[in-house]
Amino acid sequence: MRLPKFEYIEPKSLKEAVKNLSADPSGTYLLAGGTDLLVNMKFGVITPARIIHLKSIPKLSYIIEEKEAIRIGVLTSLRDLYTSPLIQEKFSILSHAAREVGAYAHQVMGTVGGNLCQGNRCRFYNQSPFWRSVRPPCFKAGGEICHVIKKPRECHSTYCGDLAPALIAMGARVKVLGPQGERIFPLKRLYSFNGKKPLSLRKGEIIKEVIVPQSSGKGVYLKWRWRGSIEFPIVSLALYIEKEDNKISLARVVFSGVGEGPVEASGIEKMLIGKTLDDSIIDSLSREVPQTVSPMRTSIYSPAYKRKMAGILLREGLDRLKWIN
Amino acid sequence: MKRILKLNVNGEDLEILVEGHKTLLEVLREDLGLTGTKRGCDLGTCGACTVLVDGRPWLSCLTLAVAVEKKKITTIEGLAQNGKLHPLQNAFIEKGAIQCGFCTPGMILTAKAFLEENPHPSEEEVKRAISGNLCRCTGYVKIVEAILSASGRESRGE
Amino acid sequence: MSEFNVVGKREPMLDAWEKATGKAKYTDDLSLPGMLFGKILRSPLPHAKILKVDLTEALKVPGVKDAISGRDIPKRKYGIVPKAKDEYALAIEKVRYIGDEVAAVVATSPEAAEEAISRIKVEYEELPAVFDPLEAMKPGAPIIHEEVPDNVSATIRKEFGNVAKAFKDSDFIFEDHFETQPVNHCPMEPQAALAMVDHFGKVTLWSSTQIPFFLRRNLATTLDLPESKVRIIKPKVGGGFGQKIDLYAKDFCAAFFAMRTGRPVKFVYDREEVFTCTRQRHPMYIYLKTGVKKDGTILAQQFRVIADGGAYNSTAPLMITLACFFIMLPYRIENLLFEGYHVYTNKPVGGAMRGHGIPQVRFAVETQLDIIAEKIGIDPLELRLKNAFQAGEPHPAKLLVQSCGFSETLKKAAEAIGWREKRGKLPFGRGVGLAGASFPSGVSNMSHISSGAIVKIERDGSVTLLTGAADIGQGAETVISQIVAEELGVRIEDIRITAADTEITPLDPGTFGSGVTLRAGNAARMAARAAKEKLLEAIAEKMEVSPGELEMKNRRIFLRENPDRGFSFEEAIKIYQYSDRPMPIIGRGSYFPPAKEPTTLLHEDGNFSPAYSFMTQAAEVEVDPKTGRVRVLKMVTAHDCGKAINPMLVEGQLEGSVVGGMGQALYENIIMEKGQVLNPNFLDYGIPTAMEIPSIESIEVETNDPEGPFGAKESGEGTQLSPAPAIVNAIYDAIGVRFKTLPVTPDKVLEALEKRER
Ligand SMILES: Cc1cc2nc3c(=O)[nH]c(=O)nc-3n(C[C@H](O)[C@H](O)[C@H](O)COP(=O)(O)OP(=O)(O)OC[C@H]3O[C@@H](n4cnc5c(N)ncnc54)[C@H](O)[C@@H]3O)c2cc1C
Ligand code: SF4
Ligand code: FES
Ligand code: FES
Repeated sequence: MRLPKFEYIEPKSLKEAVKNLSADPSGTYLLAGGTDLLVNMKFGVITPARIIHLKSIPKLSYIIEEKEAIRIGVLTSLRDLYTSPLIQEKFSILSHAAREVGAYAHQVMGTVGGNLCQGNRCRFYNQSPFWRSVRPPCFKAGGEICHVIKKPRECHSTYCGDLAPALIAMGARVKVLGPQGERIFPLKRLYSFNGKKPLSLRKGEIIKEVIVPQSSGKGVYLKWRWRGSIEFPIVSLALYIEKEDNKISLARVVFSGVGEGPVEASGIEKMLIGKTLDDSIIDSLSREVPQTVSPMRTSIYSPAYKRKMAGILLREGLDRLKWIN
Repeated sequence: MKRILKLNVNGEDLEILVEGHKTLLEVLREDLGLTGTKRGCDLGTCGACTVLVDGRPWLSCLTLAVAVEKKKITTIEGLAQNGKLHPLQNAFIEKGAIQCGFCTPGMILTAKAFLEENPHPSEEEVKRAISGNLCRCTGYVKIVEAILSASGRESRGE
Repeated sequence: MSEFNVVGKREPMLDAWEKATGKAKYTDDLSLPGMLFGKILRSPLPHAKILKVDLTEALKVPGVKDAISGRDIPKRKYGIVPKAKDEYALAIEKVRYIGDEVAAVVATSPEAAEEAISRIKVEYEELPAVFDPLEAMKPGAPIIHEEVPDNVSATIRKEFGNVAKAFKDSDFIFEDHFETQPVNHCPMEPQAALAMVDHFGKVTLWSSTQIPFFLRRNLATTLDLPESKVRIIKPKVGGGFGQKIDLYAKDFCAAFFAMRTGRPVKFVYDREEVFTCTRQRHPMYIYLKTGVKKDGTILAQQFRVIADGGAYNSTAPLMITLACFFIMLPYRIENLLFEGYHVYTNKPVGGAMRGHGIPQVRFAVETQLDIIAEKIGIDPLELRLKNAFQAGEPHPAKLLVQSCGFSETLKKAAEAIGWREKRGKLPFGRGVGLAGASFPSGVSNMSHISSGAIVKIERDGSVTLLTGAADIGQGAETVISQIVAEELGVRIEDIRITAADTEITPLDPGTFGSGVTLRAGNAARMAARAAKEKLLEAIAEKMEVSPGELEMKNRRIFLRENPDRGFSFEEAIKIYQYSDRPMPIIGRGSYFPPAKEPTTLLHEDGNFSPAYSFMTQAAEVEVDPKTGRVRVLKMVTAHDCGKAINPMLVEGQLEGSVVGGMGQALYENIIMEKGQVLNPNFLDYGIPTAMEIPSIESIEVETNDPEGPFGAKESGEGTQLSPAPAIVNAIYDAIGVRFKTLPVTPDKVLEALEKRER
């Protein structure tokens, strides 16, 4: 499987990269670790005219602790992220999530930015040209119709990244650099929930940094897959709560693998507020979950199974947090 | 379009003329004749193509050759020093961790990078480290044994 | 102290050094000057008439040198079983599954070849397709091959004893249905071929094959050349497990384009092609009815299997026969009726895979044995011991079982897993299970089944061994060298082996049916003996004794009665030379497995393998009732392999096949939708990673088979027969749910647990 031809650019600075990207945003792609991009290029679903290699830009791999937050450089590798004692100690939910991505080499090559911006996945899309030739091209691949829901001009490809749910649960924000300068916004808003164009980045924008607030709460990341390695999550859950007087004062419940972006179960979050975690609460909330997520048949696993597992993960997650103050 | 590529492979500085869209795997195998690096899936899912880039495990099938120009690349051919096998190579041979051998180069290099980060791993840690390197022949048992025994050897200074 | 010097030792594989240093050359590692790269265009439709193939645009792509479609090739069918040939190297009039080969190109670069493929225009007339064998057998179903109007391309039916009566006499009767899934072999090396043609028109093909001599025959057929114009060389092969038995389009295309262009040509498959366009384990529908007495004695069994063969036959008749035959062992079943059907569907093709038709059957039989044991209140181990076949017993189908350690494997496996302490006594979610099996060491009485070897003793005291045996990573070359070294009393380092080159090495059927050690090992031993006799004769003459009084050991030839009298190996060779005997010292051996009873596979009874191996697998599992995840904690495999020529390699075979069998039980499944494989990759097709492996204990039960070289039988395949039922039985012990469909994935476990709660 050969890569299509493209022009290769090594910018010296992020600014230069932004300039290059702005010149032709639709034909230009950013390359970080390449573990997502190159696969899609080999499959012929992405055919860039130009590739900008971000790793040629110095000083974008760092983890810096400040009073209010830690700042993570966008090119920080997943391996560096989860082996960092700081992350392991204070943001274990994050180190767990990063540890669960692919396998060793993916974690060494893969970057935080690439993980957050990885393409949405679909069983009709992440396939070779031969595989896809069995049907007309789908909407995301440049055609008209979606094979998942059999409707024109819709795409429900699924976000399957591991880091985003954990970071959203921690209330992370991203700093992006664009032609108009920098802006910072909640990571949650990076995701447009449009399967065809899942990121809300504006023309020429590149993520520069992820900012994670210092926190007093506790979180867990639970990834469900059948083997202990390689696989993307079938469903995963990032759960973060803060308690006051043993009552929940803040809750974030974010799933991966069940929607066009990381899905925040705000209904469940609301129900958690003010509660003390006991078995009956845990039981009733976990039963709610299958109705609050609505995955599509975009992988080999059925939506019903994903819904069921989402509930099981929440139960497990709450069980684990029950005892922690 | 072809371009001149400067690579440092197994300690040697090389200049070659290649197409800019070639992967490191393609360049190693097809332009440099370093066929010890294997292609098992070409999609980042099997680990057979693992090489070391600055000492860390890298899937060469998902790496643009141009993107690693300034790095130190080690392939399985560069592991033995002055005709002396690396302890991991010896351990794989002696423990019967090699059957068809197709996963072996990637497996050994992954293990090498890992042992450098973690010289005294537990069995579970070894399994996790090599879990992206698929082997269909051995059932991994003797591979894990070999890596553990090599880790012991290194620490004993053998 | 062992009576042997080399046999029985944990020798590292001879080529392990090459493999550990990256020097070992597999087919795709070879290249020749001026080499072209090929690519195949495949059918996107499961069933269609090919109306037109237009290659014009493809030929215009810069760098493209040639392109062909089915129209351009000799109209010669091939197949691994001569009477079941049903495949053209490229589809000619019709495509029969998604992935069927339609056209091919060669170009100066892989990029150009890929580009050219995308420019070929094919017009099809779509035909109705059928994806389920039960549907395909119905009258009026789409016909996939005109010669086989009912889509049933191989059938077997046999009865022994009086089944109807035996069922009447039974105290209990059990009837169950089982289903198994398609499984891909997943050798880590994708299939590849490189061809070259010399100016005499002879084709040389380097191929990732397990059976060079069969490949020569099939390739010559498809190219319409005499066999003498085709040479097959097997470089290192990165695993096969049965998938590299067939000829593939890549072999034909490499050779055919090399003939057409006069340039070397290479074809390498993508992983997706390996998944969808080579071979897979046959999915089966199995019906099993068993009659037993109150005391557990099995009186009768009736067995019906419908195998989904996909679009072509490959090994069909052999596979369906093995599936049925291996219900006859390892238990004593006097009254037996079996029926097997191999059915065409518009899906990827079934073929030989480690265990070849038998693991599916073992899953059914061994699962049902546990059902029986529970119902009649006997311990499953006792039930098996009671019915276990014993060496020397007359077999209802006239199988000749000269050695049989089955009962011993049962007892040892049970003991090692802690059967008495654990079975039925572990907390909810933990359980143990076991299952038995038997496997042939090669199949006798098929054409092309003999094996030859040549051993040369060289002037410098080294030994050259030529064998046709195909080492595909299992270590055949090492084992055969050990056998020769032992026979000649030399070190393994003294042996230089050349193997699997049809032009140089003697005939060998190749690596399948687990016959390599026995067949090629025996041939090599015979050759070594013949060379040794020549040498001994010269020494005997010199020492004025009879050759029978001499012994060859530790690189010396000496008087058995007086070991001090003798010569070193080198001296002996000198003596031989100066005695005016012809050099070099060459010994030849040809081995044909004896068939002590006459048999053809399908029609008459009789012994069809020179020896049978026996084994028991025992598993301990842990099931997480919250998520349905099953973890295998421990697998014990007790295996009667006759004699382990190289215990380390035998262990390696056992461990590999146990993990493979576990994959089949819990993780692996080719998922198909309307004939299209949904998961042709390692992300979605779950071959076990290092994270999944249990602790594995292997117990070798040595029975020293009289027919095997130094008593050896087989060890490669048999152990993959029963991990699945052992695991499934252990799951039952853990959670009380019985699974009759494979694989047992977490979603199924969860659903079953929920159902039970309700
Ligand atoms: C076998 C296999 C298994 C995998 N398993 C998992 C898994 O379990 N979980 C998981 O989450 N992922 C998985 N992945 C996907 C991938 O490896 C990871 O998501 C990885 O973190 C991606 O990072 P990267 O740097 O390699 O991304 P790249 O491939 O370099 O980039 C991915 C995308 O992000 C864009 N991008 C990169 N950096 C920026 C930036 N700074 N600003 C804006 N856009 C940017 C790129 O243009 C590209 O579109 C797997 C991949 C493979 C091949
Ligand atoms: S959801 Fe529909 S449009 Fe989107 S990738 Fe899948 S098939 Fe294509
Ligand atoms: S070939 Fe690169 S991971 Fe398989
Ligand atoms: S030794 Fe064959 S794949 Fe590992």
